[in-house]
Amino acid sequence: MAAAAALLLAVLAAVAGLAEALRHPRTIEPVAEPAAVEDPREEVVCDDVPQPRSGEPIVVDSGVLLDCPGRYDGRLVAYEGEVVGAVLERDDGSWVQLNDDPYAGELGPLPTHRQFRGGNAGIGVHLPPAVAGQIASVGAHDHRGDVLAVVGVYHQSDPRSGEVAIIRATGGEVVAAGAPIDHPPLEDRRLVGGLLAAAALGLLLAGRLRARR
Amino acid sequence: MLLRPGADDFRIVGLSVGRVLLGVSAAMVAPAVLGFALGEVNEAWGFVVGASLTGLFGQGLVLLCRTRATLTATHGLVSVAAAWLLAAWFGAVPLLLSGHYGGFLDAYFEAMSGFATIGQTLAQDLDHMARSVNLWRHLMQFMGGQGIIIIALTIFSSVGGAIGSLYLGEGREEKILPSVVSTARFIWKVALTYAVVGIAVLWAALLQAGLGPGLGLYHAFALFMAAFDTGGFAVQSTSVAFYRSVGVEVALWPVMLAGGFSFALHYQLWQGRGRELVANLESRVLAVTAGLVLAMMLSGLIAAGAFADASALLRHALFHVISAHTTTGLATVPGAVYVSAWGVLAPASIVLAMALGGMAGSTAGGIKALRVGLIVKGIRKDLRATLLPDSAVVVETYHLGSQRVLSGRKVTAAGTVLLLWVLLYAAGALLGLVCGYDLETALFDSVAAASSGGLSVGLVRPDMEVALKVVFIAQMLLGRLEFIAVFALLGYLVAILRGRT
Repeated sequence: MAAAAALLLAVLAAVAGLAEALRHPRTIEPVAEPAAVEDPREEVVCDDVPQPRSGEPIVVDSGVLLDCPGRYDGRLVAYEGEVVGAVLERDDGSWVQLNDDPYAGELGPLPTHRQFRGGNAGIGVHLPPAVAGQIASVGAHDHRGDVLAVVGVYHQSDPRSGEVAIIRATGGEVVAAGAPIDHPPLEDRRLVGGLLAAAALGLLLAGRLRARR
Repeated sequence: MLLRPGADDFRIVGLSVGRVLLGVSAAMVAPAVLGFALGEVNEAWGFVVGASLTGLFGQGLVLLCRTRATLTATHGLVSVAAAWLLAAWFGAVPLLLSGHYGGFLDAYFEAMSGFATIGQTLAQDLDHMARSVNLWRHLMQFMGGQGIIIIALTIFSSVGGAIGSLYLGEGREEKILPSVVSTARFIWKVALTYAVVGIAVLWAALLQAGLGPGLGLYHAFALFMAAFDTGGFAVQSTSVAFYRSVGVEVALWPVMLAGGFSFALHYQLWQGRGRELVANLESRVLAVTAGLVLAMMLSGLIAAGAFADASALLRHALFHVISAHTTTGLATVPGAVYVSAWGVLAPASIVLAMALGGMAGSTAGGIKALRVGLIVKGIRKDLRATLLPDSAVVVETYHLGSQRVLSGRKVTAAGTVLLLWVLLYAAGALLGLVCGYDLETALFDSVAAASSGGLSVGLVRPDMEVALKVVFIAQMLLGRLEFIAVFALLGYLVAILRGRT
């Protein structure tokens, strides 16, 4: 009995170990950057909103907009982030999600380096057609999205659409063009996958033959 | 006297678990095919590895554990718990190979969150995840919601009538039709009908929202699985807020509600008995509790000044009440906003809704409306007995498909499970407090993990403490299987160690 239990645990550990061994290799050296999602134990201090010169936007990130939505509600802000997912075209403009997490910065999307920096962080932005028309690359598994710098009014609750925590942009431009992400083939995974698949099919066939007999 | 399980007992359990794992292995073929089709070759090979390992292990068990011995209730319960643990273990392999998880524990957390239809995620950079891997996350929810065991029942119906205990082990209260196999088929019929209609409506809403036809269909498919199986995973990190669309949100309402309804109620409605919706104890309880939670949330949001106008207030409040009460976990606002802009009462109402959950015998989690109803009826019966003369015979009835008499045994059972739920919610919250989180955060995410509510205020994230990850995984399993199957497995382990032959 003990031997069977030990064998079961060993097999499960081997499965986990094999999966670990077949993971994507890191393509760059580890870099020290903060996690994308804040630790909720960190105390959030919503200081008074900085007062820029008249007519100038306040430079913000998604962290302050989500942590202190009331402070920035109705204020003109400048925000920068990677377009991810899709550009949702509507009659009066387009909605986009602009992420400003580490994957949108110099580090790049996770598939390009496999340096873990937590979950995503960003803000929904409503773009005028002229700005939305500049977007050529949307962030996804196979693409790094364009980085868009926008200026607009932040709304804790948008009076026109009812959306929560969004920027209604009045202007903006692409400041860094996106690009396709290269995924070099992982030969060891193919080899192991092929061998395992052959073994699994063989065992299934053996089971069928045994059942017939 | 505790009896040590014999070789035949292990063979029966092993055979059942092996068959379930073969089903999980077969399910991995779909994302593998999608991966190859979309050029996500590394991820597709990850599914080949995962499916092969699962298939090898499952078929190995089937071959090693062949037996003609009969499956008992205990075997069924132990098989369910073991199958759930192992399905998540093997389901984690392609997740880890996707390169979006910090380690095997994170991938296992995600797989358990998927199979248990929780919706909490430890995925990193989800917005750059391969579509095939995202499909697998949603497929796990579909399988978990419909019941891995139900899938196995449907595929391997040759096992026969003795598999009823497997079905009951998932916390499903009663059979809808006389035969378990016909019940399983009915559940599939309901699910597929809702799928066809739900995906079509969601697709139309997503096209209207601005997604292209191909991407729209993919999102519709994923959203349906997340909503109908009350799962809560989403294709994008911003959940339903990504679509910025009232149409998509409204299309999700009935899908989430259908997921929160018991299959027994679906059966009654399927038979054209619309009155059951009004008479059914569970639908009555849900209507009352949802109304109370909505009133609580609206009061909280108004007090916090979270919304500029009434229509936006009602839109987001309604969505969250349905999502939390059915324990779906989809959201129309970023989680941080619950803390920073929604005050205290509104998040508290979400916690309450998740804790109460949907109907027994549905894909929802939580305490369940049936238990709440039985306990309230039991209290009313006791109060009436106290007020009436000693000679009076107090009879309390309730409607659940048919009129039934309330027995003390049922009230006691409901009370016991209610207590277990409260302890389960408290366990995660207590550990959260020990780790330094505030009560609101710790309780919110603990209830979300145990009840399968899935919403989060930020505690669940890739760098959260290992102990919390482990406890949350245990909460997910205990909550999804409603304790008994896990207790049976633990009892089996104790019997192995201390039982007599």
